[in-house]
Amino acid sequence: MVRRLAGVAALLWLAGCGLPSGDYFGAIPDVHDRPRHLRFCNQGEPDYVDPAMATSTTALPVIFALFDGLTLYGLNGMPEPSLAERWDVSSDLRTFTFHLRHEGKFSNGRTIDAYDFAYQFIRILHPSSASPNADGLEYIKGAAAYNGNTGRVLLRAQGGLAAGAHVEIVGAAGKSLEQWAKDGATPPDANVRRGGKPLALRDLGAAPGAAYATAPAGADVTIIELTGGPVSMASPDGQVWAYVFYDQGDGAFGWVPMAELDQVPSALVDYEVRELPKRHQIGIEASLEALTADDAVTRPTVHVRGADLLMLPELMGMRIPDRWTFVVETAEPTPYLIAATPSRPYRPTPREAVSRSPRRWTDVGTIITSGPMALEAWLEKDRLELVRSKTFWNPSLVKLDRLTVFSMDDQAANANYYAAGGCDATASNNVPTSYRPILNGERRRYLDYAVKPYNGIYFAWLNTEKLKNRHLRRALAYAVDRKRLAGVLHGPIPTAQFTPGTPIKNLTEAELTLCGVTRDQPGVALIEVAGEVCYVPPLGLDFDPEKARAEWALARQELGADFPKSLTYRYNSGAEAHKIIAEYLQQSWKETLDFDVTLEAQEWKTFLADTTQGKYDMARFGNIGSLTNAESEYLVLFKCGGSNNRGRYCSPQYAALIAEAKKLTDRRARNAKLAEAEKVMIEDAPVIPIYIYVQDHLRKPYVRDLGLNIVDQFPIYRAWLDPDWAQHPGRSTSGEGPNAGYSTASEAAR
Amino acid sequence: MLRLILSRLVGGVGVIIAVATFSFLLLHAAPGGPFDAERALAPQVQRNIEARYHLDDSLVTQYADYMGGLAHGDFGYSLKRPMSVGEIITTHFPYSLTIGLMALLVAVGLGVGMGVIAAWRRNTGVDYALMSMALLGISIPSIVLGPILVGIFAFGLGWLPPARIEGPASYVLPAMCLGLIYLGTIARLARGSMLEVLGQDFVRTARAKGLTERAVVWKHALRLGVVPVVTYLGPATATLISGSFVIEKLFGVPGLGGFFVEAIVNRDYPVLSGVLVFYVAFLVMLNIVVDVVHGLLDPRIRSGR
Repeated sequence: MVRRLAGVAALLWLAGCGLPSGDYFGAIPDVHDRPRHLRFCNQGEPDYVDPAMATSTTALPVIFALFDGLTLYGLNGMPEPSLAERWDVSSDLRTFTFHLRHEGKFSNGRTIDAYDFAYQFIRILHPSSASPNADGLEYIKGAAAYNGNTGRVLLRAQGGLAAGAHVEIVGAAGKSLEQWAKDGATPPDANVRRGGKPLALRDLGAAPGAAYATAPAGADVTIIELTGGPVSMASPDGQVWAYVFYDQGDGAFGWVPMAELDQVPSALVDYEVRELPKRHQIGIEASLEALTADDAVTRPTVHVRGADLLMLPELMGMRIPDRWTFVVETAEPTPYLIAATPSRPYRPTPREAVSRSPRRWTDVGTIITSGPMALEAWLEKDRLELVRSKTFWNPSLVKLDRLTVFSMDDQAANANYYAAGGCDATASNNVPTSYRPILNGERRRYLDYAVKPYNGIYFAWLNTEKLKNRHLRRALAYAVDRKRLAGVLHGPIPTAQFTPGTPIKNLTEAELTLCGVTRDQPGVALIEVAGEVCYVPPLGLDFDPEKARAEWALARQELGADFPKSLTYRYNSGAEAHKIIAEYLQQSWKETLDFDVTLEAQEWKTFLADTTQGKYDMARFGNIGSLTNAESEYLVLFKCGGSNNRGRYCSPQYAALIAEAKKLTDRRARNAKLAEAEKVMIEDAPVIPIYIYVQDHLRKPYVRDLGLNIVDQFPIYRAWLDPDWAQHPGRSTSGEGPNAGYSTASEAAR
Repeated sequence: MLRLILSRLVGGVGVIIAVATFSFLLLHAAPGGPFDAERALAPQVQRNIEARYHLDDSLVTQYADYMGGLAHGDFGYSLKRPMSVGEIITTHFPYSLTIGLMALLVAVGLGVGMGVIAAWRRNTGVDYALMSMALLGISIPSIVLGPILVGIFAFGLGWLPPARIEGPASYVLPAMCLGLIYLGTIARLARGSMLEVLGQDFVRTARAKGLTERAVVWKHALRLGVVPVVTYLGPATATLISGSFVIEKLFGVPGLGGFFVEAIVNRDYPVLSGVLVFYVAFLVMLNIVVDVVHGLLDPRIRSGR
């Protein structure tokens, strides 16, 4: 309601006061005095700028400017080498060896090496960090056991297990872990230690006097890492040092000599452990069949004492053969790992800063960065000021001296501020829906407005536990004419397919060949790796009133008295488009099936809680892929019992096909198998796909090398301003890349 | 007077404790949690987070921790950003306060003036014109008024910035937008009460003494005429100053109102409870101030107690 009123009001003033005349939406300031200063209207305040903690999309452009990674996003959204000069991928797609450059530096001057990458894994995955970004890293060997605090290294050979074996805890103190969870209690942690004397937490090898925090004698600290391990730094002085967490106040991390941790509270506690599945053991090379078969084998359990167990980072699938080589091992073939290397887990953070103030190290003044830009000021909910980094190894990549990021969250405020000349470009997906027909309407198209397809799907979940009948679901899917809806929404691409991509008719010739399709074919294709891998999703159940009614009749026949009299469609309140779509669906079902559907708007968190718990019939949802990968971003949703499987869809046939695909290392064969699986799913109709998201933004004509790419990650620091833009009309202003094929009038007009 | 203030203070503390308790219970009864998202977290990731922020403790323990913190003036840390609740309040309340006070100035200054003139010239064209304007002010919601003001003053005339706080000029549009809504109510209140006062004996006496009409209205009658306005000002000031979420959003102002609403959406328990308790404390204070001002304006209230 609020948004609708705002939209109406916005239209009122736009109509009343006259639209900006000329080719551009609003003022074009003269930028001769600041050719290296870009002012960017972001879509809100970043939650954190710490790569381990941030989850908001608003934080990403800032984080990716402040922190260097194995790779960085290129203009086209694909990874380009940065801290990793090059990499090798094993033929089974399970071992990834990154060769690091020697020039990478933190802003405090310290060189970045493989240990910093290992530390970032520890930071994100250690339970005490409580990082939401631990999610989605299960593909790394041992990561789930580490993050779940059940993985341990056995320190002494016993019960047939060798010293150094990687095991998982199944019970403690005579109770199984399930029982502990049921009792709402946590079993004693064998990593907890106490010092008989106060512990001086400090940098590795520093004198006690250089301590920045002290844990009092007898206080619990948790061991996180020991010097000398396979992924840990060597001891500077011959004795073993321990990196510990002291959980008091804001918490502090630090190194202390291991000898000072003389008390082991759970030394005598009895733990029941067993070896981790073979797939999760480091360095084991065997055929995947053998490895997955091993999952089914019952692994014998052994009773050991707490003193013989430690959770250490070496449990995770990473190795450091030398200081400049970082190896990642995954439990299963992971074809999308390289595509994920520009993301947060592969952007190291400085241990020295994090340890001193885990919560506040990113404050201006204490923050240590490594990326193209450095943080100069952070005024909450107003703006961030970023300046060119003095220590970034590749300064020629950076075109800007200063980047101002405004943090207003209201879409209209951003668009108005842009129109008044306050910022040079807006973040993508941040133009008010009500402005779209004005910016990209029939009568007028502004040249500084661009629209491109986006790696995201808007769809409806059908709760398969309530709508058990397949024919019923199929009828509902067949009854929706998505093409008519597209006219109302201005921009989005209507679809009946689930995995989004570029409309096949817009692909280049080379892309057509890569995907093995012809231009007259309907539907979309997703270019997963430019020039290498393409995924063609199966066609869905597109509008067909005859089939809809036929399926409807079948459902009625099968269900008899159980046939539902009405159903409810849920959506979250706050966005106008959800309501429009809900009403459209309601009308479609009424027209085609003569069936009444009730609409229900819910507050966001209530909506999430209810849909997660299966308390709904049908509900709108969106799924945005952070990678251009069908398997990890889209098909994963339909895993039986998966936390994001809100439709509670569980098909043995689908699961079997996915399992088969996972064993294939040839990506073409793998994608063909995945498409077979998606076909099974889409025919079962646990979802009704509605449209492929588009992203749009406003960008002044003098801004160069700033555009939109399919993953919505643009390296803003590579943009620059051309004060004499009017004299250089032909220059490219946006990155081109795979999946760029779709463009609307404004982009094409350029 | 001192006893009045003291008793009100004691009552105020009771109100704060009650509100803190009630809001704590309501918040935790609301479905969903701070770390629910469109893409749900894996269960063990969720568990680690809940353990870290003590969300897995029993509600009684959480309540005891929360009230213990409050007693020490410690509102805790936001669950969603690296800031303490205290910092959020001290950094962002000043924006809301400035805009609120400016809006108050607009609303009271113009509103009382309009009301008095309308009462003075009752049932004339002036009265009708002023009261129609007041009615318009009450009827147009700020969500509509804001974009209209932006259209006129930022884009049409180009006098003021459309969004963000960049200097003193940036406060004008949000303050105007916020103030105009209250102006209408205040003008109508002032008119009504002035009409009543102008008919009373002491006004007749003043006129009989031969005072000018201007002196009668502005010096004698107004003092009593504004009493209902002052009463209304207590809650109105609290609302104005606590920051209008809508106005802050429309104009990109980094005020406290935005944090408050965002905390509701995010289920950021510490921020929400902290800001709420702060608002309640503020409201209690304002009400005490209003009581005192009443006493100063109207001798009958002072002696009546």
